[in-house]
Amino acid sequence: MLAILRPDSWNLALFLHVLGATVLTGATAAALVCAVNEARWPWLRLVVARTLLLAVFPAWILMRLGGAWEDSKSPIGDNSTWLGIGYLVGDAGFVLLIVATILGAVAVRRPQRTWPIRTVAVITGVYFVALLVAMFAMTGKPGS
Amino acid sequence: MTGVFLILGGAAFGGILNVAALRRERPSEIVVLFRFVRIAVRAISLGMVLTLVFGLWLVGDLDFVKWSNTWVILALILWVVANALGGAGGRREKETRKLAERLAAEGDGRSAELRARMRDRLTLALSWGSGIVVIAILALMIWKPGH
Repeated sequence: MLAILRPDSWNLALFLHVLGATVLTGATAAALVCAVNEARWPWLRLVVARTLLLAVFPAWILMRLGGAWEDSKSPIGDNSTWLGIGYLVGDAGFVLLIVATILGAVAVRRPQRTWPIRTVAVITGVYFVALLVAMFAMTGKPGS
Repeated sequence: MTGVFLILGGAAFGGILNVAALRRERPSEIVVLFRFVRIAVRAISLGMVLTLVFGLWLVGDLDFVKWSNTWVILALILWVVANALGGAGGRREKETRKLAERLAAEGDGRSAELRARMRDRLTLALSWGSGIVVIAILALMIWKPGH
């Protein structure tokens, strides 16, 4: 119902937010799958590092800025749990992704060390699950 | 929305690994990335079914959405177009994967034929075109022209 009644001026912000969120989820999954399999194919470390830097981060920026723009226009969801979950996953994700991107670069430059890429696998796995929870909260809007 | 996430997230997943495959030379490495892409294909296929089933259900159930709405008709047409483009591109990529698997088993040497097939413009246009059509469907669902 809200989607139907939404003013047209909110549309671009919502479009950018949803597009960024979907690409962020897919890119995070790609980094996760490659990080998990790097022990068998070590060259995947480079794919992980590039994916984090060139796909995950730009998608995060699109998702976060689109979301902030949409929230500045719309009073819907103010002080609600589902919006709080979205902000938490978005903002905590920024810290996690910075750490993952740095460790991804370390894993490429120091191939003899295994802990950086394993940590990247854990971080991207945790963040992927968090994104799914946020997707459920933002689209289902439980409690509202 | 779960269906939309599966489609666009799967497309991003597949697109990233396809670009990564374009940068590799050894057939065995390309095979690994193409096998990962199959995860994306499954997610996109499931998403396509979910968006159609639940989309049609919503149009039938909600009083303020009509079958005659421009955006509903356009979304259905683009859904068919996206499937047709993605299916055609996917069949061509499957042939490329089979070639890469054969080359990997025969010594894993660099191949001009594989390189050419990886960069085939029609295959890339079909696959990326399908993704752009899906983004257009998302735009239709948000702007709802003709509503």
